[in-house]
Amino acid sequence: MASTRDIKNRIKSIGSTKKITKAMEMVAAAKMRKAIEAVLRTRTYANLSWLTVLNLSGSMNSSGEALHQLLTPRKEIKKVGIILITSNRGLCGGFNAAIINKVHESIKKYHKIGEEALVEAEFVLIGKKGAAIHRHGQTVVADFPKLDLASEVNEIVPVANLIIGEYLSGKYDKVMVAYTDFINSAKQIPRVKQLLPIEIESADEYLGIVGQDVRLGVNKEFIKAKEDKHLHSGEFNYEYTFEPSPAEVLDEMLPRLIEIQLYQALLESNASEHSARMAAMHQATEAASDMVNELTLSFNKARQAAITSEIAEISAGANALAE
Amino acid sequence: MSDKFIKFEIVTPERVVLKEEITQIILPTRTGEITVLPNHIPLVSSLIPGVIHVKKRNGQEDVISISGGFLEVLRDKVVILADTAERAEELDMSRAEEAHRRASELKEKARQGEEVNFAEVNAAIERELARTKAIRRWRKIKNLE
Repeated sequence: MASTRDIKNRIKSIGSTKKITKAMEMVAAAKMRKAIEAVLRTRTYANLSWLTVLNLSGSMNSSGEALHQLLTPRKEIKKVGIILITSNRGLCGGFNAAIINKVHESIKKYHKIGEEALVEAEFVLIGKKGAAIHRHGQTVVADFPKLDLASEVNEIVPVANLIIGEYLSGKYDKVMVAYTDFINSAKQIPRVKQLLPIEIESADEYLGIVGQDVRLGVNKEFIKAKEDKHLHSGEFNYEYTFEPSPAEVLDEMLPRLIEIQLYQALLESNASEHSARMAAMHQATEAASDMVNELTLSFNKARQAAITSEIAEISAGANALAE
Repeated sequence: MSDKFIKFEIVTPERVVLKEEITQIILPTRTGEITVLPNHIPLVSSLIPGVIHVKKRNGQEDVISISGGFLEVLRDKVVILADTAERAEELDMSRAEEAHRRASELKEKARQGEEVNFAEVNAAIERELARTKAIRRWRKIKNLE
């Protein structure tokens, strides 16, 4: 049996680990509140703007072509650009592993779909932990730093510009964004969503539209209903008039909306990250408490055993003297 | 009054500014000011900094200043995705004027070759100008001046 001193030392060290995890849990909780506020503020805008874009993607010009390059699906998909949003720091449970695995899976799926030539994938990272994708043997073309709490759309503009540029130049035939969707503070789902080209068939996944949490679900069903109405009433093909001209309006509008989508993905990821960290730290704190309890028990047993054996020795000694 | 109306919604990245059933709306688009009435043809256009004037279904009017954005008109629905937008009754005249003055000073500095982003300053001036305009229009409607 371990000596009482050893056990005492272990109790002490676990106690200080517990203090740290407790503090981290509280910090994560505070950050999470801010991140959730941010995510909820932009959700309506992001969803409405996405709906507008989807409306547009359904409309055609007189010669039956889509209105803008960003809305035209390409026949052959050779190279896919993937924007991967992860956290900067660890200690957030399976948060980063989950999104990276999800991405890896969806790449594998692509490999199968393209029967002959493999579809190539290249990564643009936001957040330090995304570098782990190297281990899956993927190419990383750019690595953008991420602030812990995003506050402005401007932060995402360089990423959006890069990716739109690469898409238009024909380097990528498809652009996906991998992020973690925030559903509530106990549930986050990693998602891979198609960003470019903007297609109506890929409309099944909106940013932050899943989930039924009352606090969060303000507009979700409403937008879902609208989408259904559009899809089923056959009115989806609106013949839009553009002022001054389709090209001019869309040139300005689509990049902006892509930015918003990316920004929303970033915010969803942030909120998810902090929730995940809070949960992980909460578990760690509880595990530490359990451990301290167990160790205290064995400490007391060891102490009692030591006392008992001491008494036995003394009385044995006294008996020997008395004889 | 006819019983036709438009479902109107104006949102910014920060919040939903106004969601209302309206009968008429006047907007500053890139090609000039337009008025949208119920049963308008579907239209997409970009908006410039300026003042939006709304007639609500209950007969009241509202004035909103925006600093640019996009407009989507469907048969019975108008959606505005604005960069920033404020209702006139939320705005403070003195603060808007003060901000406008500061922005103008910055622009003057930019002319003299100092390190300021000219485009950004210009955008700020237009935004503040739109705000002051919105307040004036609002006061006129309410007969405050």
